[in-house]
Amino acid sequence: MEDVRDLKELQIDALREVANIGAGHAATALSQMTNRRIMISVPQINIARLEEVPELLGSPQDVVAAVLMHMLGDLTGRTLLLFPERVGRRLCDMLLRRPEGATTAFDALEQSALKEAGNILSGAYMNALSDFMGMLLLPSVPSLVVDLSAAVLTTTYLNFGHDRDFVFCVETEFRIDSEEGLRGHFLLLPDLASLKAIFDAIRLT
Amino acid sequence: MIRLPTRPETIVKVADWAVERGSVLTTLGLGSCVAIMLHDAETQAGGMAHVLLPSKSLARDQNNPAKFPETAVPLLVERLKALGADPRRLVAKLAGGASMFAQLMTPGTVQMGERNIVASRNALRAAGIPVLREAVGGDVGRTVRFNLTDGQVEIRSVGAESYVI
Repeated sequence: MEDVRDLKELQIDALREVANIGAGHAATALSQMTNRRIMISVPQINIARLEEVPELLGSPQDVVAAVLMHMLGDLTGRTLLLFPERVGRRLCDMLLRRPEGATTAFDALEQSALKEAGNILSGAYMNALSDFMGMLLLPSVPSLVVDLSAAVLTTTYLNFGHDRDFVFCVETEFRIDSEEGLRGHFLLLPDLASLKAIFDAIRLT
Repeated sequence: MIRLPTRPETIVKVADWAVERGSVLTTLGLGSCVAIMLHDAETQAGGMAHVLLPSKSLARDQNNPAKFPETAVPLLVERLKALGADPRRLVAKLAGGASMFAQLMTPGTVQMGERNIVASRNALRAAGIPVLREAVGGDVGRTVRFNLTDGQVEIRSVGAESYVI
């Protein structure tokens, strides 16, 4: 496949299903870490011009906590876990067993907690894909930044992606139950060349 | 709190450009992208391009001149001339080109941010425009407000005091 815009409806559906399996496992992991009920959305395949990437998810000016990891092995690409800054702090409260609102900054301990959460979530996601498709998938170390959404998203695609015109992501939104606005996004960013491997693995031609 | 701008403010999006007089040009959340800003103090004319890629050869779609330094600089100069600016008076400032998630880069490869900075400097040198000040590199994103009345540029980053170049 040369261009992500050539994806057929059936292939998009298949990617959604693959993402749903991965996100389901990631949500289970997050639920066990936080002892909360986690709900996930139906995965979306977002295709955008590189110029439109800052508006891909929410406002470009929002400050987000983002954990990026490489995906290696039979598929290559990246996973990106994104939370609004406030949600990132709240998640630190939960992971570090603090009272609500106790996390005020992202110091070494908080950064470590968020990276570890990213690691576990991406690990669960990739494990599920490995099992489902009979592939070997390996996550890299996680890297965390807390910065403007526009800067995070453009850098993710520019520095690590290979496509400079149209880009895409397989996105799942998850919500942490019983609290208003506690939501984040899980993005799977397979390299275009790996899409064929996914379709081959699930015998979709 | 909503702070009302004291003068009209134009938002320059990714791979976009603007040329105006006496207003404020703003771009939000520069990561590895670079904002190239040109200013003519006498006419208070200035332009900004939010460039995305260091070279046209990296993209198939090359129709947007604001996407690359090599085409963005001549475009800004041309439009500033039309606004009455004298190209010989133009000076430049640069912001952006950060290296985020640096630990995930393959060792030995050059970050896109760094490449964008170098390409922007080269394009300005080719046009004979001196670079007065820069706020480039590092590992944080930047929001930039370019005041065309005095040519000053306010730089803001998450978790840091804003400053002016």
